[in-house]
Order: sequence, then structure tokens, then C-alpha cells
Amino acid sequence: MEALIKKRINQVLKGDQNAFGEIVELYKDKVFQLCFRMLGNRHEAEDLAQEAFVRAFVNIHSFKINMKFSTWLYRIATNLCIDRLRKKKPDYHLDAEVAGTEGLNMYSQIASDTLKPEEEVASLELQESIQEEITKLPEKYRSVIVLKYIEELSLKEISDILDLPVGTVKTRIHRGREALRKQLRHF
Amino acid sequence: MNCHEDIIEYMHDYLDEDITSEHQEILRNHLQTCSECREYFHEMKKAVALVQSTSHIKAPDDFTARVMAQLPKEKKQVGAKR
Repeated sequence: MEALIKKRINQVLKGDQNAFGEIVELYKDKVFQLCFRMLGNRHEAEDLAQEAFVRAFVNIHSFKINMKFSTWLYRIATNLCIDRLRKKKPDYHLDAEVAGTEGLNMYSQIASDTLKPEEEVASLELQESIQEEITKLPEKYRSVIVLKYIEELSLKEISDILDLPVGTVKTRIHRGREALRKQLRHF
Repeated sequence: MNCHEDIIEYMHDYLDEDITSEHQEILRNHLQTCSECREYFHEMKKAVALVQSTSHIKAPDDFTARVMAQLPKEKKQVGAKR
């Protein structure tokens, strides 16, 4: 697998864009799944997964050939997801004016935005409920849990992707697992 | 539960497949006698199993085509300028 990927990367470096298409085909499901489990939303996951591949293409010259390609690619995707999650919160400043509403602020919009009955019905599905619980995890625990249990990566690979010591990855997995134990015990 | 902190640590080590045989022996013996820890361990393994059971999802069919359409056409632009 890695040998094939490296051959394709060399072709891309020589200007063959089609070779990059083969790389996308090989990793698209893994990267999409990673983004979906991190964000809990298909649309956003699709956007960010595509963005991850575009960035990989643009930066392909900085990929070090002795590295595992998937580690490098997952790092790009994970960082994009983490950035997106961190940016989400400041968007919700209650006193920020929403463009085009002149004087109306978020306070006046909240009432109509909170409860949507159709969302409650959809969440009855077990799969979706579990995803909701994953989405409730703080971002630093969510990323390690997704990488370990859904992408099935080793502690060492997770440490390379997140650029954290293995000991820190371990502690976060323990905390994440504790949180999930409490959240999922009545399932 | 506080008196069992060591045991909970061993549970995590066990789940990380990073436990010494000595600790594994202690964990096994303790679980045989302590129903509280047995329940705790069960809940933890159940949580992991549920997370792992979320079925693997696939990227949409047009995914690769859409990525390829977004790639910068560097070569052509350079050619046009010349």
C-alpha cells in the first residue's frame, strides 16, 4: 500500500494530476469518516474532507517520503476539523448582529432556532444517538477516541497525527473513555 | 470507588493492551471479588463496543470528481502567461 502510494506521489510531483485521483480514491472513505465522526454533520464533513485532499495536493512537495502518507493526510484532516470546531464557538456571540437584520441580534433569533421536532425523531436511531454522544465529547478527547476506535490507529500513530507525546494521548483516551462510559451506560 | 483507583487504571491499561502480567493478575483477581468494579469494567467495555459499532460510512459517489475539480490548474496558468 505505502509503496503504491509513494509511486503515485512521485507521479503527482512530476505534474500528473490523475495520479492524485487514485490517491483520493484510496483514502476518501477514511478521511470522510474521520471528518464526519469529528463534526457530526455530513455536509461539513464532505466540505472539510475535500479541503483536506486539496491541501494535501497543494502541499505535496512538503510530504516527507520516509513518513507514512496516511499519518500526514490524517493530520491535515484532523487539524481542519479541530480548527472548525474551535471557530464554531465564537460564532455564537449573543450580541453579535446577524448580517442583513439591522439591529436584530442573536437573542431575538434563538426562540425559533432551538427546538426542531424532526431532529428529535431522527435521534431515536441508535447509530445517530451514539454519534451524538461522541459529538458531546470535548474536542481534545473526541479526536483521540475517533482516531483510536473508529479509524483503529495505534497510540504511536495518533501521537504522530496530533503531534502530542504518547503519554498525553493515553491520558486523553482514558478521560474520553471515562466520559463515554458515563454517557453510554444506559444504552 | 476511590479505593479502587489503581484497579481502574489497570482497566485502562488492559483496554490499551498495555498491561503488565502482574497487573493483569491483580485486575483479574479483584474483578472476581468486587461486583462494583465488575460493573464499572463492563460499562467501559460496553461504551467502547458501542463506539466501534458505529458503522463505517462511505464518502459520496462524486467525492473524487469534486476534489479533482477543485485542484489548482497551476501548469496551465503558467503556460498561458508565457
